[in-house]
Amino acid sequence: MRRAAPWIVAGLLLLGAGAYSETSWRGVRQAVPEIGRKQIEPTLGQGVLLGILGGLRTIVADATWLRSYVFWEKRDRAGCEALMKTACALDPRSRFFWENTGYAVGYDFAHWEIRRRGGYTKVSPEIQDGIFRRYAQLGLAVFEDGVEHTGGNSGILISAGQLAEIKLKDNLLAASYYRRATQAKSVPWFAYFMCARTMWEAGQKEEAYAWYSAQWLAKLKKEEDGAPDDLERLRFMEDELKVPVLQRIPRQPWEK
Amino acid sequence: MTTGSAISVQGLTKDFRVGLRGLKLRAVDNLTLEIPRGQVFGLLGPNGCGKSTTLKIVLGLVPATTGTISILGSPSATAAARQRTGFLPEAPYFHKFLTGRELVEYCARLSGVPADKVTAAVEASLELAAMTEAANRPIGTYSKGMLQRIGLAQAIVHDPELVILDEPTAGVDPVGSAAIGRMIHAMRAKGKTIVLCSHLLGQVEQVCDRVAIMDRGRLVLEGRVDEVLAQRDRHVITVEALSPAARAAAEAALAAHGATVTSITHPRRSLEDLFRELVTGSRDA
Amino acid sequence: MNARLTRSSWIARITFLEAIRQRFFAFLLVLSAAMVVSSVSFRFMDFGHSELKFVADFAFGGMFLFGSVLALVMTAQLFFAEIDNRTALTLLAKPLSRTEFLLGKFLGTWAVLGVFVFSLAFLQGVILWSRTQELIVLAAESGRVAPDFSVSGLAAFAVLQWFRLGVVAAMVLMVSAVARTFLFAVIVGAMAIVAGQLQWLAQEALLKPSDANALTKGLLWLSSRVIPNLQQFNIGDTLVLDPTAISGDAVWSVVLSGFFYLVAFLALASLAFRRREI
Repeated sequence: MRRAAPWIVAGLLLLGAGAYSETSWRGVRQAVPEIGRKQIEPTLGQGVLLGILGGLRTIVADATWLRSYVFWEKRDRAGCEALMKTACALDPRSRFFWENTGYAVGYDFAHWEIRRRGGYTKVSPEIQDGIFRRYAQLGLAVFEDGVEHTGGNSGILISAGQLAEIKLKDNLLAASYYRRATQAKSVPWFAYFMCARTMWEAGQKEEAYAWYSAQWLAKLKKEEDGAPDDLERLRFMEDELKVPVLQRIPRQPWEK
Repeated sequence: MTTGSAISVQGLTKDFRVGLRGLKLRAVDNLTLEIPRGQVFGLLGPNGCGKSTTLKIVLGLVPATTGTISILGSPSATAAARQRTGFLPEAPYFHKFLTGRELVEYCARLSGVPADKVTAAVEASLELAAMTEAANRPIGTYSKGMLQRIGLAQAIVHDPELVILDEPTAGVDPVGSAAIGRMIHAMRAKGKTIVLCSHLLGQVEQVCDRVAIMDRGRLVLEGRVDEVLAQRDRHVITVEALSPAARAAAEAALAAHGATVTSITHPRRSLEDLFRELVTGSRDA
Repeated sequence: MNARLTRSSWIARITFLEAIRQRFFAFLLVLSAAMVVSSVSFRFMDFGHSELKFVADFAFGGMFLFGSVLALVMTAQLFFAEIDNRTALTLLAKPLSRTEFLLGKFLGTWAVLGVFVFSLAFLQGVILWSRTQELIVLAAESGRVAPDFSVSGLAAFAVLQWFRLGVVAAMVLMVSAVARTFLFAVIVGAMAIVAGQLQWLAQEALLKPSDANALTKGLLWLSSRVIPNLQQFNIGDTLVLDPTAISGDAVWSVVLSGFFYLVAFLALASLAFRRREI
């Protein structure tokens, strides 16, 4: 027992170090977005890659993305998707990877599927529409993942809105994405108009005008770029909705 | 255990496990040995007899299977027991990028020489080892003999009471070997105990006070050099200017007293002595 | 205690001098530095990452990959050189305990790893600063916000990497204390590093609720305790480019975790080395 005592103490030291490392890991894991994701798919493959690469993730992510182009050229959906998603896993803070993966999934894969099934003349419009919708939903899922890991990047939200608008033909859903984009950091000025437009086209005209004018008065009228164009659109809405003069946006000194 | 012993070995046995089946190879077999203080003690034996293993166990480099060992009264397995011990291994190897002085200082620091005494201790040991001139050269430029001498310097820098030398003159020329022999005598004169492990029996015979011979892990013989080597039933008489008539008369006189003359030859000096005489003479010239 | 530390520090000093002279160290340092400097030339490969992140990643990669190789090979080589050349014979015959010897070997190696890490971190800082100045000018022209990086974050990351390599060195020393050959120590040490980099998978599995059986949970628990989580040291992106995303306490806890692992592995190495026949 006396001879084993030092070994037991050293073993306990190691177990203690391991126990403490669980605490320290909890403290830093959220700072490693590659690790903090709710899902890692496929878990073992990407997890192993993340673990092994350490600081080389960005470079390998870029190389993986380049490699995915080879599969894109071949219209290989499985290979393309796997590599693109691996690039996203390796560098989840990159807007570029998420956005383009979403585009590929939401737009390109549907066409490849239709071509694989025989082409646009052979596949009925109803089935084509179903395929477009299915892949659009998958594309939106990719965009949602990207938004989560980029801290709400406005560009990805706008791309999601466009996908909802073009492929799902869901203006309300598109408007919700555009509205989220306007709440993000570094939002482009045209996002406000896109939100208002899709609400308007979805039939929510009064709501669209109310929201758009409130945003313009609070944020946009100071922006040199958008202010005149947005005001022009707001004036159109006011005319369409026959808004009383006193309730309209006051005339601006620079307004023609 | 004798308190006056420099090294006391009691019932030492060392088994090594060899191969996958873990067969035991007994390197030292129930060795009991007392090495007295203040003497030069020679430990001899053929290759593989266990003498290097015994020294390593004494120095705590290899654990014993059974038995007890003490150095200057302290159990040998502790680092403190080596505080008063110096060791020169067989075929010493040191960091080539260090100079001789740096190596000796390094060893002085490891041996616990106080910081304010390091410089003096280093210089003293370099002088004793006749390495002062070459001390600032990298060890990588040293010859075999210089390596042995700098090895000796690092072994004695902390002024140990016990010095263990494993093959200190292996590969060294006779001049260098004689120099090392003088250093050993000088250390003994200061009251140190030196344990010498060597195959050069001629040197052992000249330098050592006591010897022990090991074979196959066992102690075969141990005692004072004079006692173990003396053939008490024979005499040597050296005569100068012996004419044939005087030789015949001497033989007859000895025979009359019952003595038998077994051989009459001319004495020879050793090749080593001739070599030293010639080389030292040519260097002095 | 002073005498013990003095002896270990001298072993460390000579180990450091021996290591810093080795061409292998110089080769890896130059290779890593070249990788850092060349990052600016590879900007065409940057797919929309923050450019500073792309540049920083080259340095992170160099520190990670070449640092790990250096820690693995150099630690084993410095240990086995003493054994094979039998300098350990001379040293351990002195009043120097095996623990002091191992501690000295570790500290000397860790000091060399520190030179490697902090040299690269300094170079990375210079490259990042230089590029940031260029981007500030470009941003001013286009009316955008210029990217920036945190110098203190870079320093903190360098310290974390130094501790990570220290844990690797301590693990390799533990393996070397029982290994018979340099090659075996390097192979097992490499496997230990890979296990350490992947250990976070076991910790993540433990943190998430699951219906795994008791044996699986037990194995996950054991591996998460015994194998160090080296992934927790790889937070360079956040520290350098987004330092507000992580608290100072969290960083300190990682440093402390590394220190505890160092102590544990060195203790095990010392115990294993005690019975080794020199």
